Amino acid sequence: MHNDAKVGTYIFSFIGCQSCGPLRFLQPFPTPGPSRLRYAPGSLARTLFRFLRAAAFLAAFAGILARADAPARARLVRAILSEDVTEQVTLVRELTGTDDPLVVQGLAAWRSGSLFLYPGPDGAAGQPFLSDGSVDPAGKAGATRIADGEPVRDATGTAVRFSAGELTAADTSSKLRKAIKVVLDLRAVEDPEARVRRDAVVKLGQEQESEYLPHFEQRLSVETVPGIRRVLMEAIALTQLSEADPKVRLGAVRRLVEIRSISSLEPLRQLSRKLQGGNEGDLLRAIQAAVKEIEEYQARANLYGTAFRGLSLAAVLLVAALGLAITFGLMGVINMAHGEIIMIGAYTAYGVQNIFRDAFGATGTGFETYFLVALPASFATAGLVGLLLEQGIIRFLYRRPLESMLATWGVSLVLQQVFRHVFGAANVQVNSPHWLSGSFEVSDVLLAYNRLFVIGFAVFIVVLTWLLMTRTSLGLQIRAVMQNRAMASAVGVRTERVNMMTFAFGSGLAGMAGACLSQIGNVGPGLGQNYVVDCFMIVVLGGVGSLPGTVSASLGVGVTDQILQPWLGAVMGKITVLAAIILFLQWRPAGIFASRGRGLEG
Amino acid sequence: MKSFNLRTLSPLLLALGLGLARAADTVKVGVLHSLSGTMAISETSLKDILLFTFDEVNKSGGVKVAGKNYMIEPVIVDPASNWPLFAEKAEELLVKDKVSVVFGCWTSVSRKSVLPVFERNNGLLFYPVQYEGEELSKNIFYTAEAVNQQAIPAVDYMLAEGKKKFYLLGSDYVYPRTTNKILKQYLKSKGIPDSDIEEIYTPFGHTDYQTIVASIKGFAAGGKSCVISTLNGDTNVPFFKEFANAGLTSENCPVVSFSISEDEFRGLPAKELAGHLGCWTYFMSLKTPENAKFVADFQTWLKAPKVTGIDYTVSGVDTKGRVTCSPMNLSRIGVHLWKQAVEKAGSFDVDKVREALIGQKFKGPAGEVTMQANHHLINNAFIGETLPTGQFKIIKTMKGVAGEPFSSKFLGTN
Repeated sequence: MHNDAKVGTYIFSFIGCQSCGPLRFLQPFPTPGPSRLRYAPGSLARTLFRFLRAAAFLAAFAGILARADAPARARLVRAILSEDVTEQVTLVRELTGTDDPLVVQGLAAWRSGSLFLYPGPDGAAGQPFLSDGSVDPAGKAGATRIADGEPVRDATGTAVRFSAGELTAADTSSKLRKAIKVVLDLRAVEDPEARVRRDAVVKLGQEQESEYLPHFEQRLSVETVPGIRRVLMEAIALTQLSEADPKVRLGAVRRLVEIRSISSLEPLRQLSRKLQGGNEGDLLRAIQAAVKEIEEYQARANLYGTAFRGLSLAAVLLVAALGLAITFGLMGVINMAHGEIIMIGAYTAYGVQNIFRDAFGATGTGFETYFLVALPASFATAGLVGLLLEQGIIRFLYRRPLESMLATWGVSLVLQQVFRHVFGAANVQVNSPHWLSGSFEVSDVLLAYNRLFVIGFAVFIVVLTWLLMTRTSLGLQIRAVMQNRAMASAVGVRTERVNMMTFAFGSGLAGMAGACLSQIGNVGPGLGQNYVVDCFMIVVLGGVGSLPGTVSASLGVGVTDQILQPWLGAVMGKITVLAAIILFLQWRPAGIFASRGRGLEG
Repeated sequence: MKSFNLRTLSPLLLALGLGLARAADTVKVGVLHSLSGTMAISETSLKDILLFTFDEVNKSGGVKVAGKNYMIEPVIVDPASNWPLFAEKAEELLVKDKVSVVFGCWTSVSRKSVLPVFERNNGLLFYPVQYEGEELSKNIFYTAEAVNQQAIPAVDYMLAEGKKKFYLLGSDYVYPRTTNKILKQYLKSKGIPDSDIEEIYTPFGHTDYQTIVASIKGFAAGGKSCVISTLNGDTNVPFFKEFANAGLTSENCPVVSFSISEDEFRGLPAKELAGHLGCWTYFMSLKTPENAKFVADFQTWLKAPKVTGIDYTVSGVDTKGRVTCSPMNLSRIGVHLWKQAVEKAGSFDVDKVREALIGQKFKGPAGEVTMQANHHLINNAFIGETLPTGQFKIIKTMKGVAGEPFSSKFLGTN
């Protein structure tokens, strides 16, 4: 491994500033103060020249402003040009608490390797600069000087434009990057955006550096967001754990228990190991008690977490399987193309997304609402495909389950290949709208919005299906046909029409499932294959033809899977669940809720 | 069908050519990449880059042996992502078509499947995709990254960044399992205790990453943690979606992925991976004159794909949104190294070419590479940060890392 610092040195010497090394401290860079007065507010001062007092006041004021920035900027420039890593780190640390946006920007750019040096005239030092963000058609950006925020000018005085590719960035070492990061993080503690503040506090708290304490305490005194107040208290207590005074430490331990800080477990355990056999028995006992209490709390949080994850997996399974519970469960069609109908729904969501993106652009409220349109659109598209499938193929095969299975399998292969041909073999990208991304925490249980949405959606479609089956005349007819087709037909139910509507409805549900699943997984021609086995498993396990059976089977499988996974791992967990299902079906072949229908018996 | 036509036609054409005017001498070269099935997404790109390279070589006068210029004539077969079929097709290339060299294979299992075929028939195979090592055949040249050219530099980088806890997450097959086994040993040698290393596998096509992400969140709660991912292909999408939703970012827990290159990003939402890291011996964003030329030449070739110098129609090349990536670069380097070695040996004879290959150098897009006696390259390794565009911003360069297949050697165990 090579040494970054050395590479940095080479670049600096290449720029040609060896001669100015010792001079740098005697003759610092042109300070921003005078140059500002000369160029920017200078014209203003000239205009106000007649109003002497006002002018003097203004100039003095501008001077104060500029000088407040000056040391920070000069310090940063010195740090960038320095060839001594220790000096660089010291200078950077002295920048802590600076409010000058240019310095902050410069630090961030330096750390990420987008800060450059403009070679000075012979013998002079280079000028550190960063892009001003204005990119012209040639791909070149303007350059802003760190020293004074003015554009970099060449010998003739024209503003320099550059493209990042042509330049070598001012180099950093990992030690220096860390120092810069700390300065930036400490600044981020005061950031107006809550998320940034939170991340910074959590990170700095884990460092357990007592010099950060004043920053935390200062922020805590003005912080109003409860979540951030909590992490601030946590950070303070964590930092105090490393202090020498046992009383401070004891207080910190108490506070950590009070706020039930899971992230303090590791430091507490470490500390307890360190104190083992020492003469601070009280503190040790307090820490051990604290570890125990927090561990119990963590176990509870894990339990609720597992319950939520199980519920969410159950909802995914239920959403995917409900359509099949209708077409296979109620109608008895072994629909091997169920997975591909889900896929059609997912691709419809993709299509709707693209239409919205073309109409509203890739961001903004217009685009964000695409998903609300995608859901009914997927229902309609998949329902239509289901209707055509039923009319075109399945209705001729109602009395021949084996043939209908082979036919639908053939359809599934055809559909896969068609989508592969039209959309390509690679997955397509469905972007989640903003309101379905992210999560929130309730006492350390993570609730992701997309998961909550799937759970809510599962409840919605189950209720919808239940209402349709029990509260509408179509539902009554479906149940009648399911129980006894001949009798239903005899009393005037148009059984063919009922079959068509039922199959279309089941397919529509599968389509909506596809749109829903596009938010948590991949959308590609193989999407259906991933779900179809699980769907059949759920429907058979629940009891063919039973809606409550489907619901309870998905709950059972989902929760069991999530309970087993942390113990057995994802692979063994899945195998165990499958084995358990096989054993269960040996015991109760008709599933959890066995029901009588014309399903498989005919 | 394409290959069938080609195979029946080419001897005819060759005979015709020889008989009539000895218009051009040709040398047959095998391409053994899946063009259908699950691996087609990745391997088709390698077939394309190989045809491009053959065109490049032929344009510059072909392979010069004993005063004659031999044009490269590709023989393309499709093993259809079917591992036993790889062995059959390899046999066909070596015995029936009598190709001088084969470029091919992506997955380790396909390489293991053809290895005995190449050894039995004394064939020559160039393998271009990062792999787990612990293998050395006299009939295979590995331009691919060995573990110490990809995984080890990435872990070194993480250690230098102050990471103390490592979550090794992979798909459940040979490459992740072997790599993680080596990494665990390596981390232990660097003083990371077992309790700070977690090793988790998920099946292919796994979509439910809730539990794993929750456990990563718990793992990373104390800070200074990172994820080393050998997850394959599209399982990365649900993983990174879940990861981002849980509030994990590259700031609080960076993920280094070994299986995602620029080419994979054509099917992945790069937006969700932005800020996370990759480690390869080539990135498309490298700023060298050789790379600029390579990328530009490939883009030009894509407009009218052909192989100069022979009667051969190129078809089935996807021309939209194409990129270059490390396996593609290493495929091309393999062809050039072979050409140089043949010219040095003055013969297409496998034994002579093998000898001439050792020490062969090539100035590639990512800097000069050298073929070592252990059939692996000395190559530069790079750490890159994913950008929302699906490109990588290079944040660290490691010069001249010598590929070593056997972990016992670079771990100093044994």
